[in-house]
Amino acid sequence: MRNLSILLVGLAALIALPHALSFSQQEILVFLVINVLLVTSYRLLTLTGEWSLGHVVIMGVGAYASALYTKELGIYVPVSMILGAVTAALLAVLLSFPLFRMKGFYFLIGSFAAGEIIRLIWKRFREPFGGVRGISGIDPMPDFSIGIYQFDFFEPVSYYYFAGAIVIASLWVLWRIEKSPVGLTFHAVHWQDKLAQASGVNLRAYRTLAFAIASGFAGLAGALQGHYVGTVNPNSFDIEVMVFVLTWAIVGGTQTFYGPILGCIVLTVLNEIVLREMGLEQARPLIYGAIMILSILFLPNGLESLVQKATRRKPVAKPEEKAAT
Amino acid sequence: MIPKFLTAGPSRRTFLKTAGAAAASLGLPRMALAAGEPIKIGFLAPLTGAVAAWGKPGLDGCEIWAERVNAAGGIQLADGAHPIEFVSYDNEYDPAKARTGATKLIREDGVKFIMMLGGDTWPGVQPVADRTGMLFSTLLPSDLSPETTTLVAPAEVHPIYNVTGVEWLAENKPDLKTAVMCAQDDALGLPSVATYLAAFEAAGIEMLDEPLLFDPATTDFAPVVTRLMAKNPQIICLDTCYSDYVHPICEQLFQQGFKGQIISCTADFYDQMIEKTSKDFMEGFVFQFPDFDDPALNSDAINFQDPNGFYAEYNKRHPGQWGAVSWEYASIMDMWKAAAEKAGSAEPDAVMTAMKDGRGAHAFGDADWWGKDLFGIDNALVGDWPVVAIENGKAVIKEFRSIPDWYNRHGDLMVKHMQAYGQMWDQRG
Amino acid sequence: MLELLAQTGLNAVYAASYISLVAVGLVLIFGVMGVVNFAHGELFMAGAYAIVALYADMNVPFFIAVAVGMAFVGCLGLLMEWALFRPLKDNPLGGLVASIGFLMILQSLAVMGFGVRMEHIPPVTQEVVRFTDKVGLPVARLYVIVAAIVFLSALWYFLKRTRFGWALRASAQDPEAAALQGISITQTARIAMFIGAALAGVAGALTAPLVSVNPHMGHSVIVTAFIVIIVGGVGSLEGAILASIAYAFVHTFVTTFWDGVLADIVGLSLMLIVLIVKPTGLFGSADRA
Repeated sequence: MRNLSILLVGLAALIALPHALSFSQQEILVFLVINVLLVTSYRLLTLTGEWSLGHVVIMGVGAYASALYTKELGIYVPVSMILGAVTAALLAVLLSFPLFRMKGFYFLIGSFAAGEIIRLIWKRFREPFGGVRGISGIDPMPDFSIGIYQFDFFEPVSYYYFAGAIVIASLWVLWRIEKSPVGLTFHAVHWQDKLAQASGVNLRAYRTLAFAIASGFAGLAGALQGHYVGTVNPNSFDIEVMVFVLTWAIVGGTQTFYGPILGCIVLTVLNEIVLREMGLEQARPLIYGAIMILSILFLPNGLESLVQKATRRKPVAKPEEKAAT
Repeated sequence: MIPKFLTAGPSRRTFLKTAGAAAASLGLPRMALAAGEPIKIGFLAPLTGAVAAWGKPGLDGCEIWAERVNAAGGIQLADGAHPIEFVSYDNEYDPAKARTGATKLIREDGVKFIMMLGGDTWPGVQPVADRTGMLFSTLLPSDLSPETTTLVAPAEVHPIYNVTGVEWLAENKPDLKTAVMCAQDDALGLPSVATYLAAFEAAGIEMLDEPLLFDPATTDFAPVVTRLMAKNPQIICLDTCYSDYVHPICEQLFQQGFKGQIISCTADFYDQMIEKTSKDFMEGFVFQFPDFDDPALNSDAINFQDPNGFYAEYNKRHPGQWGAVSWEYASIMDMWKAAAEKAGSAEPDAVMTAMKDGRGAHAFGDADWWGKDLFGIDNALVGDWPVVAIENGKAVIKEFRSIPDWYNRHGDLMVKHMQAYGQMWDQRG
Repeated sequence: MLELLAQTGLNAVYAASYISLVAVGLVLIFGVMGVVNFAHGELFMAGAYAIVALYADMNVPFFIAVAVGMAFVGCLGLLMEWALFRPLKDNPLGGLVASIGFLMILQSLAVMGFGVRMEHIPPVTQEVVRFTDKVGLPVARLYVIVAAIVFLSALWYFLKRTRFGWALRASAQDPEAAALQGISITQTARIAMFIGAALAGVAGALTAPLVSVNPHMGHSVIVTAFIVIIVGGVGSLEGAILASIAYAFVHTFVTTFWDGVLADIVGLSLMLIVLIVKPTGLFGSADRA
């Protein structure tokens, strides 16, 4: 009962949130929500102990695929978003054959290489990927009404509700996966892979499964972004964007489900709102870099460790957080 | 939901800002000339990151422009004089951030006009432009399309003006008959390749080799130059290479012993190129961007306000930073100001109507709204463009040459090559 | 045709030289510290800006400027070791993030100190060693080739013939065993960081007059260096050098005989093939992460 009321208050706060923000902050909120899905899907992959540098390119695969399905085949936008996610997941399965011959650092660099090759393919083949200019004029999500609320998807508030609902549903699915026997096996693959193997777990299959699921949700995030911005191009998915995702996850901490989300929110608000409001145009990367270093030095377990400290004092800590650690 | 911004008044933050600006203006006597509420202009371009060199110097130029205009009384509208104020937003050359920036500038800062670099960032802003009717400008006419009627390309008509340099070369150095070309493989390089191919074909100059494309991340140009020189061309064309490529390519051409003609779209910081090579080597180098202390720019036909003074002031504040981007955004402001004064209003639709009414006051002389063939809409301002050559270590305007004249004679060649490179407006993804 | 081949060969030798200086430093740091130094391209950039400040702006003689720049970037390496990698030595991903933060700081400092535009560096020499009318090697490029040979041979001697080098190799292979042998891990880490950074710095300083110096020049260098160290095998110095030479020759010849974009695709495909056939690189063996 108590949990339900917390849930309802949280939901009401999320619904009310955009109305307390300025127009540009509403726009930032849309991208933030999409990035929350991206970084959470990234965490699923890291559960198995693998750190990829290709996750943002996989997100781009979802965005490109969904854009092309609507543009070339005229598929209804929400359906093509799902197909975009499926495409990203299938590509991940394909990529797992060369990539999962590697581990650790080699996987990190190998995933970077695979991502660069995909980006080079987008650049090289103007048909159908549009070359360096990418694809523009992507169909927006068609407007519709649900009686009490008229969705106009040009408006960031509408798109926030739409994307927010999808992201919450996706987070719930990711959460269920993590708590299921399959998710616990992911943990086992990371921490005791010899033991897991000895007890008959097919390591390769589980790693591939984690990679495919994570990639599918990253692809969904990409599709959500592509149909909102209306354009995709190879530069939007380059290593510099990946670096941001990586830092959200690490600065937030990856031990808990909410750590990467926390990192994403805090760093985005800092970079896009606080530093911009301060009028520090040229110095923005400098301060952002300094904060990254300071947080990794003084909060080695991420922002989540602060939350854990704070909630441990109070006996009513959310039980699921404990379970995740 | 009804779009709120159509009716919404100024938000609290913009009100405070405006109040602050008004209060500040009381303290400055020269601002008293333009005591009306400031007119805000948005500057939405990359200010940090790898593309910042295409934004930041332009903002610097705009600030000089604003000071000069405000000191002279600001802009005269129907309800009196107003000072002009620039509001910038760093879009980091990212379409999503550009969209956020456009929303902020329009809905929160209440700007009347937004200048952009364009390129990758434009498609992100396009829906905002379509919905708000805000007037936008771009430096890259390849952003134009019939869907968006409120986007204009009033300064740069890249790459169409490159035909003037080739035509001038063919007329003045008729013994040059063979050429090769290299370009970076990106949104600026490819349409420019098509333009140069059309211009060379029209001038009867033979291409000895396919255009050599290189990745924008290239740093070592020795292999590119070796390839260019392999066929012994009389002309080497550097397309629209950025100065980060033009300089090392010229250095390599010099070192590998090239003796022929070079033609390029830009030659920013050519004094440094001369220092890296030699005065003799750079003599006769043909390009398209004059120094603004050139006496030819003092002709009455030129619409850019006091080019010599602007150039001197810019060099004083930002020594060694002068380049094409420095003046282009300011020249768009000249044209916008003229249109707004003609309309008596700074509202986007009124300015747009006044701007498109008759010929436009392009920096290099009055010009026509043009572009239906190539961009699907007549929103590019195209007229004369200078052909510049380096003579005795200094850029000299050789001639102003008409782009529409060339196009009327050779338009079919242009369309043919643009199509081959997939650069026509209806071919873009 | 023969002349074209010869000239292209000379171009490739130059490319191999500066790539190997950068890649060897990256491998050395990874080998001893176990961190991927994402800021390595920015150390290269810092070396180039040392030349801008000392040689172009303050008229210090070029080779003194190069030496100072090399020492300066080496000290940046020491700073990174002390402030970032040592406190984070049990946290390789932390080291990675810290190096990314450091990269952003270095880039911003370059922008704020020198502006976003590329910098001008007057030529050091315009002499060209001419072999035939069409085949020549500019002396400024020869400096880079000579420096690569000298510094990499010196490094080889240092690693194989001195006690420090022995300690360095030992701690690269097995830090715990090395510590048991009485080798100071901190000391070897410091030396490795200094050498690795200084090699990137000297490459940046010597090539500064030949390339466009701007705050973001490190990006393309680090991408090339990554490709090279993967092909060579991440922990192997010899592999890095041989892979640099192979990559430079392939890339240069494809650029000259086909085109530059294709050269990048060939380079990446080469890497992918190596990864599929031998995931640890041509010379790699140990599986570290």
